Amino acid sequence: MWVVIVIGVVVLFAVIFIYNSLIAKKNQVKNIFGTIDALLKKRYDLLPNLIATVKAYMQHEKDLLREITEMRAKAVSGRMSDDEQVVLDNKLSKMLGGIMVAVENYPDLKANENFMQLQRTMNELEEQISAARRAYNAAVTTYNNAVEMFPTNLAASMMGYKTKKVFEISPEQRENVDADKIFEN
Amino acid sequence: MTTLEDFTKFYNTTLLGDLKALEQERRKIAFKLTCVIVTVLSIVGVCLLIWRIRNVIIPALIAPAVLCVLAGVVVCHFMTKGYVARFKSLVIGKIVHFIDENLDYNADECIDKTTFMLSKIFTTKPNRYKGDDLVWGKTGATEIKFSEIKAEHESGSGKNRRRYTIFKGLFFIGDFNKHFTCETVVLPDTAEKLFGHFGQKLQSMNIFRGELIKLEDPEFEDHFVVYGDDQIQARYILSTSLMERIVEFRKKTGRKIYLSFVGSKVFVAVSYTKSLFEPRLFRTLLDFEPVREYFEDLQLAIGIVDDLNLNTRIWSKQ
Repeated sequence: MWVVIVIGVVVLFAVIFIYNSLIAKKNQVKNIFGTIDALLKKRYDLLPNLIATVKAYMQHEKDLLREITEMRAKAVSGRMSDDEQVVLDNKLSKMLGGIMVAVENYPDLKANENFMQLQRTMNELEEQISAARRAYNAAVTTYNNAVEMFPTNLAASMMGYKTKKVFEISPEQRENVDADKIFEN
Repeated sequence: MTTLEDFTKFYNTTLLGDLKALEQERRKIAFKLTCVIVTVLSIVGVCLLIWRIRNVIIPALIAPAVLCVLAGVVVCHFMTKGYVARFKSLVIGKIVHFIDENLDYNADECIDKTTFMLSKIFTTKPNRYKGDDLVWGKTGATEIKFSEIKAEHESGSGKNRRRYTIFKGLFFIGDFNKHFTCETVVLPDTAEKLFGHFGQKLQSMNIFRGELIKLEDPEFEDHFVVYGDDQIQARYILSTSLMERIVEFRKKTGRKIYLSFVGSKVFVAVSYTKSLFEPRLFRTLLDFEPVREYFEDLQLAIGIVDDLNLNTRIWSKQ
């Protein structure tokens, strides 16, 4: 009799533990995704400032700057799916990288105090976004492991949990930023 | 960065003259020390001999033997004190200035216990703490400070007295090039190396540390375990390039290294078994080998700035 009670208590605790740990892992993913969102918003807020500063100097990149402005407007409108948002953010990161490289051709801009400050803030933001993406991928991997591995997979399927996608770097993004190539488009 | 070739030139042109003068002093002190040691050993030897012949412990003999040893230690200490101070200011101080003239050196000071504990690298509070050879100043855009530290914890009394070393070696503090508000600690990984996946589980249950942070670099993960209170900021600090640099730094030192990032500062502890920057009394000073060792140990500490790329200031912190 006692053996049955002990086994029952152990199983109950195991079920509670698995249930709670799955919820904690799911929330961790959600929480980090929220941080990425916040950081991207911060970047959108900074963009008008950056464009206003570089516009006066950059004569050959007017089209690119206009495109960035349009992309920003689209992103902040909030009428996109998560996947579209990711594609747009990746494209924006690449274009911003291109602008930072093109700055080399404008010594006056490089010496502009306001621009220097903006450039530092942008660098910081890009690194924070990249760190948040790495953290997101780590959280998703832990979550996916729990969803797929035994015995947590049993509870996960009962709770309707499905594996999530990690942020993938496209082959284009893996390449170094080539400013000339960007401005050709 | 200063190379060994540059240092050899500096040794021959500047340092050798001072070393020759100090060598005379060292010989005299070494002779006096030998006399003191021989005298003490003779007295203790005579006491032991009498005890052996009579086969009984004579209390009257213990007291002079113990007193003699104590007196010998005190005399040796005072005889070498002035020489050690002169050696450090002439040799170690000059090597520090040779590597970077913006740095200052004080042989008697060290990084204080509060700062040592603030680093959060070690969780046990030492009750025996000492150190010397403090170097501080600004190298490039980075403020640094480092010294030799020996931190121990002693518990119990009498026969039950136990002492263990928390840390012995070089303790470095540098101004980190990014702003952050979290606390991240990078420690040598032993549990995962010994027990694999189970070791990692154990690490995640460490109640004395923050959250376990699993990073993507497999080589870095092989050698280190990271704890922190913010998953994202920890990755912001430990960028992929910094992880590579830390792995390289570990290879370069060949020693156990600990790092932490607290209060916008980076703390690095490099474990040593030997005492650093101490003159050897019974070995000639005109040998290049020990001097090269002083240079390499100092260069290693000052070089942390380059090794961890701390002078790169492309973020909002300048």
